[in-house]
Amino acid sequence: MKTELSYPDVTTYAVPFFIALILLELGYILLKHRRSGAAGRYETRDALTSLIMGAGSVISGILLGFITFGFLTFLWFLTPLDLGASLGVIILCFVLDDLRYYWVHRFGHRVRWVWASHVNHHSSQHYNLTTALRQTWTGTFTFMMIVRAPLILLGFHPALVLFCGGMNLVYQFWIHTEAITRLPRWFESVMNTPSHHRVHHGRNARYLDANYAGVFIVWDKLFGTFVPELDEDKPDYGLVQNLGTFNPLRVAFHEWVGIFKDATQRGLTWRERFLYCFAPPGYSHDGSRDTSAAIKAKHLARHPEDAGTAGFES
Amino acid sequence: MPLEILGPMVVLGIGGIALLMHFVGLSKPFQLTGEHSRTAWVREVPDDVPTQILIANNQENALLKLASGKLGLVHVMGADTTARYLTGATWHSSNSALTIHLPDFGAPKFTIPLSPQEQANWTALKDAAS
Repeated sequence: MKTELSYPDVTTYAVPFFIALILLELGYILLKHRRSGAAGRYETRDALTSLIMGAGSVISGILLGFITFGFLTFLWFLTPLDLGASLGVIILCFVLDDLRYYWVHRFGHRVRWVWASHVNHHSSQHYNLTTALRQTWTGTFTFMMIVRAPLILLGFHPALVLFCGGMNLVYQFWIHTEAITRLPRWFESVMNTPSHHRVHHGRNARYLDANYAGVFIVWDKLFGTFVPELDEDKPDYGLVQNLGTFNPLRVAFHEWVGIFKDATQRGLTWRERFLYCFAPPGYSHDGSRDTSAAIKAKHLARHPEDAGTAGFES
Repeated sequence: MPLEILGPMVVLGIGGIALLMHFVGLSKPFQLTGEHSRTAWVREVPDDVPTQILIANNQENALLKLASGKLGLVHVMGADTTARYLTGATWHSSNSALTIHLPDFGAPKFTIPLSPQEQANWTALKDAAS
């Protein structure tokens, strides 16, 4: 007989804390740093779009969550392993799920099909606590639930895996702020922090495709994607090409529409159509667009003095 | 959390935060100058610098002629900006505004308040670029 488990949906229980912390950050910026913008910026339509995207993500989870849950439950019945739910197992699951998050997030930036879902999280030109809530509506369609399969097959209960995933997202809420500059060195060296995640949201050539961590920044250091935040290169937030709309439907679906338009152009080979779906964002069959590698190369052509510095090592 | 609690909390939270921000003045759009327009364009398209810039009187839009000979638009998005080439755009004029449609789902339409004189200036720059 396998373990029966249930855990609370931590992301919905965190909603009142999200609202309270947004008000706190907003008040802090307005009272202390409004003119300088040193602690971050807020703009009404941007924040409203982010909050609506967050609400839509919850609705999407309610409507489509059964697909992921059904898939994980199916795997749970396949595996003969059951690790139970001791404290050690919960901690191990949390750490391994964070490794899972790192790779899903990395795919989210390097595979256009997954980027189409994740891009909306990067579409704000602001970096404040509302940006954390600018979440995807279409994550189910990326099929990235497959990356959770090893955890279930190893014997971690689906409810525990989803609980750890929820805790991971809740952790990441507070790091979406400019109000915190740097934390103690020991913390910055192990944990994902506002400084590390500002880099991840930077559209500067230096910061593209860096710092994919959820909770532990050690994964980026281990897999060679860590770039520190440099005081002389302040992150410029948003997309390489920023959106010209605040309409949440367009924010949620614009990259999917882009994939469809690109892959169904006349005169392409099947390989080119495939690459428009799954190559890194910025791929084009005629070289008319830039991938992050091309953007970095062009930056170095304009600024050769940056070669060999953080984010431009190779 | 029960939906009957979560739903109203989310709606009131979003509405309350948006109203608060609006009433403390955080809805004021960014105002473009010539230098802002240049910087905003180069920020997104560093390899094709502007050679001529026309800023709308409302200071929320700028038409740019670029070194490549193409036309570009810088548009204020709240406190920030976005930039687009106008290749493939269609232009529709009325007495008080110019509407530019783009084949871009993420930036489909820009409605730009322009006086008849401004519209004539923008059209002249467009014709010079084509």
